[in-house]
Amino acid sequence: MAGTLLDIAMMHSDTLITRAREGDKNAQGKLVQLWYKRIYNYGYKFFFDHDLAMEVAQKTFISMHKNLPALQDVARFKSWLYTIAVNYCREELRKRKTVRSVSLHDLRPGEGEESYRWEESAHRHENPEKQLRQSELSDLLQQCLMELSEEQREVVIMKEYEGLKFREIAEALHISENTVKSRMYYGLDGLKRILELKNITKETIGYEL
Amino acid sequence: MSYRPDESTLISYLYEELEAKENGKVEQFLQANPEEQKKLQQMADVLGIIRHVQDKEVIAPPIFMDDAPRTRSVWMSGYFKTVVGIAATLLLLLVATRLIGPEIRYSQGELRISFAEKKISPPAAQPPSGLSPEQVQEMINSSLVKNNEAIAAGWSETQKQLSLSIRQNLDLNSRKIDGLMKDASLASQDQVRAFVASMQSDNLKSIREYMQLSSAEQNKYMEGLLVDFSKYLNEQRNQDLQLFQARIGSIERNTDEFKQETEQILSSLISSSGNETKKQSSYE
Repeated sequence: MAGTLLDIAMMHSDTLITRAREGDKNAQGKLVQLWYKRIYNYGYKFFFDHDLAMEVAQKTFISMHKNLPALQDVARFKSWLYTIAVNYCREELRKRKTVRSVSLHDLRPGEGEESYRWEESAHRHENPEKQLRQSELSDLLQQCLMELSEEQREVVIMKEYEGLKFREIAEALHISENTVKSRMYYGLDGLKRILELKNITKETIGYEL
Repeated sequence: MSYRPDESTLISYLYEELEAKENGKVEQFLQANPEEQKKLQQMADVLGIIRHVQDKEVIAPPIFMDDAPRTRSVWMSGYFKTVVGIAATLLLLLVATRLIGPEIRYSQGELRISFAEKKISPPAAQPPSGLSPEQVQEMINSSLVKNNEAIAAGWSETQKQLSLSIRQNLDLNSRKIDGLMKDASLASQDQVRAFVASMQSDNLKSIREYMQLSSAEQNKYMEGLLVDFSKYLNEQRNQDLQLFQARIGSIERNTDEFKQETEQILSSLISSSGNETKKQSSYE
């Protein structure tokens, strides 16, 4: 329910954006509260890394705060924000390619020590075992996503997890809508092959859950 | 039927974003091409699967906004600072050169930069004329010859001294040996006999004393040994006797116990037989 309210708030945040653009600090703070989770999750799904996702989210909102007065069309705020996030993601990816490092977050605990994975869930009151299985499946699918190319991953994440329209994705990535759809097509085709290799099907997922 | 939708159209169909007319055409195409239909269905399945990726919960950090962007004065801009820095450096250089008075000269392929007044350097001292290699060789040779002569002179002197001292030592030793030989030849037969007799008597005396001492010690040792042995025998006998007594005592105790047990058994047998006879008589 909270998620739905948040979505509604995000969809109707034009007034908030206008106020924030005019320098209303309270409105800027509310915008960060509204969009932080989405941008963090975009970064997390792109890198599958908490630290990098935090880094990207923070940089994105610092940039938003600096450049919001320059935003011409309020209706394009969403794609504008994702453009900033995408640019920072690409920057971090370039850095990572040059400097190889291992985040401590990657050093995941053993199977017996994974209680935090369901504790961190919002639906903690649900069956912990089921939550754990869902979390493991989520990580497994996330690993499949990481095998896609950078361009395909961007499109798939924006469309499937961030709920952007193809037009908005095209605006965010500064490419044509047809290119976005084409990348989506090949991304899904690639994912199909990756899932087949890992023997992940509708049936196996249904059995697991 | 040459219509074949491209990837973007298929994706739009998958997301149901096509117009009705276009949608109908794609459906017809898919009906005619089951393989494409299957592929699209698999893609739809993939979408169904990847939607299981969960969002991560994250708390937005508190926002600390600074004041409205302040208008930066031109004095604070980086460019201004750089330009002023360069200008100040140049000014400093100009002042310094004015005060010091530098002089730059280029002559005979040589660049000279000097400060302050030109110093008139005193004429350099004429370097001593160099020696030719022949002269150097000659000097080396003469010094070598002198050195060889000095070594040869020292060597002959040392040799002379050594031979003299050896000769003196030999003379002294031969004189000593001659004296000893003379003394030995002067000694008479009687003196030799007397010396031997005195030696014999001394030896005899010492051997006798030694024998006496050793016999006394042996006696003492034997006495001690006999006493110890007798003590040992006595002790052994006492221990054996104690052992016998203890054994006999235990045998006596065993016998007594055996007797008591036998008596108890007999008494119990007697009492039980008495009871049985009583019971039989009562039955009768």
